[in-house]
Amino acid sequence: MLETVLFLIFAAICVGGAINLLAQKHPISSALSLIVVMGSLAMVYLLLGAEFVAAVQIIIYAGAIMVLFVFVIMLLNAGEEERSATGSRVAMVLGVPGLLAAAVTTGWVLTRHGPASTPVVLGEFHGSAHAIGRLLFHEFLLPFEVTSVLILVAIMGAVVLARRGE
Amino acid sequence: MAEITTLHYLVVAAALFLTGVIGVLTRRNVIIILMSIELILNAVNLNLVAFSRLYNLHGQVFAIFIIADAAAEAAIALGILIAFFRNKETVNMDEVDLLKW
Amino acid sequence: MPQNYVPIFIFLLIAFLIGAGTVLVASLIRPNNPDKVKLMPYECGIDPVDSARKRYTVRFYIVAILFVVFDVETVFLFPWAVQFKLLGLFGFVEMMVFLGILIVGYIWIWKKGALEWI
Repeated sequence: MLETVLFLIFAAICVGGAINLLAQKHPISSALSLIVVMGSLAMVYLLLGAEFVAAVQIIIYAGAIMVLFVFVIMLLNAGEEERSATGSRVAMVLGVPGLLAAAVTTGWVLTRHGPASTPVVLGEFHGSAHAIGRLLFHEFLLPFEVTSVLILVAIMGAVVLARRGE
Repeated sequence: MAEITTLHYLVVAAALFLTGVIGVLTRRNVIIILMSIELILNAVNLNLVAFSRLYNLHGQVFAIFIIADAAAEAAIALGILIAFFRNKETVNMDEVDLLKW
Repeated sequence: MPQNYVPIFIFLLIAFLIGAGTVLVASLIRPNNPDKVKLMPYECGIDPVDSARKRYTVRFYIVAILFVVFDVETVFLFPWAVQFKLLGLFGFVEMMVFLGILIVGYIWIWKKGALEWI
């Protein structure tokens, strides 16, 4: 009962925030609604019992990545995006049916070939930092070390790109 | 009230994914396109976490790796955007039409 | 345990109530007669010139990147710290390799002069 109410609330906030992200004109409003999406997704992870992923979602997504986005919006301060007066007709002719087809296909796959639908019970946490750590440092050792190389390359690339021509 | 199953979480993930795809296809501001890509990554994460409930914890570890990679991706993409903005003074996707400046 | 989250939600609720309550009470009891000077943005007593929406320097972005790097590092440190005794020396070496690679990046940024604020 409680999990149904909580799921409906946070799923609605999540999808509503995502739609609001696209509806807003100014990038800063979109960034704020993306933060709302991230926060409510963390709550959805908690409902699924993934405690550590929820914490990581808050720390990295809502904490770090959104800081990058907000900084870049302030840095560039490009204002509202310019829209062309007439929408592309090809986009209208192909896009709307394509989107409907994608939605119908997704719905069909989910209802017909969906997973064994076991009910999600509130309070069954099995994604604690303890369990994740055991898996991360034994079975996922190589990906873990490679991640550090990836992040190293990312910071070097980002600093070089951002400082170019300064 | 109906019971919430794994399927319901997958529906939310599918909705997020479709919203992200619509954003990538329709918006012209590069920053908002990047945010839509983050939405798509989040939809994938939600799928992984929902399925990890059915099978084992590997999905959650994958989700953590994806989040770390998303940080790297956002840093690089925004760095490219800054470098691009220096040259052309715009964040409009339609203007991004040169391979080399 | 879901009951472990009860204090967090009580905390969130109290934080929300304090924030919303002060704004609400202040809007109820304050006198409200604005004029042009009062509505001006406050800048240490000097009349504000120019738009506030100026471009910031790119150095803020580099500092933000450093923050992201060490944020990601912290996220991986946390399960390691919880498992530290079970992992033993091997886990320690693992994490030192991880930290070493990231610190190479930090030293590189430092040597490159990206942290100089001129």
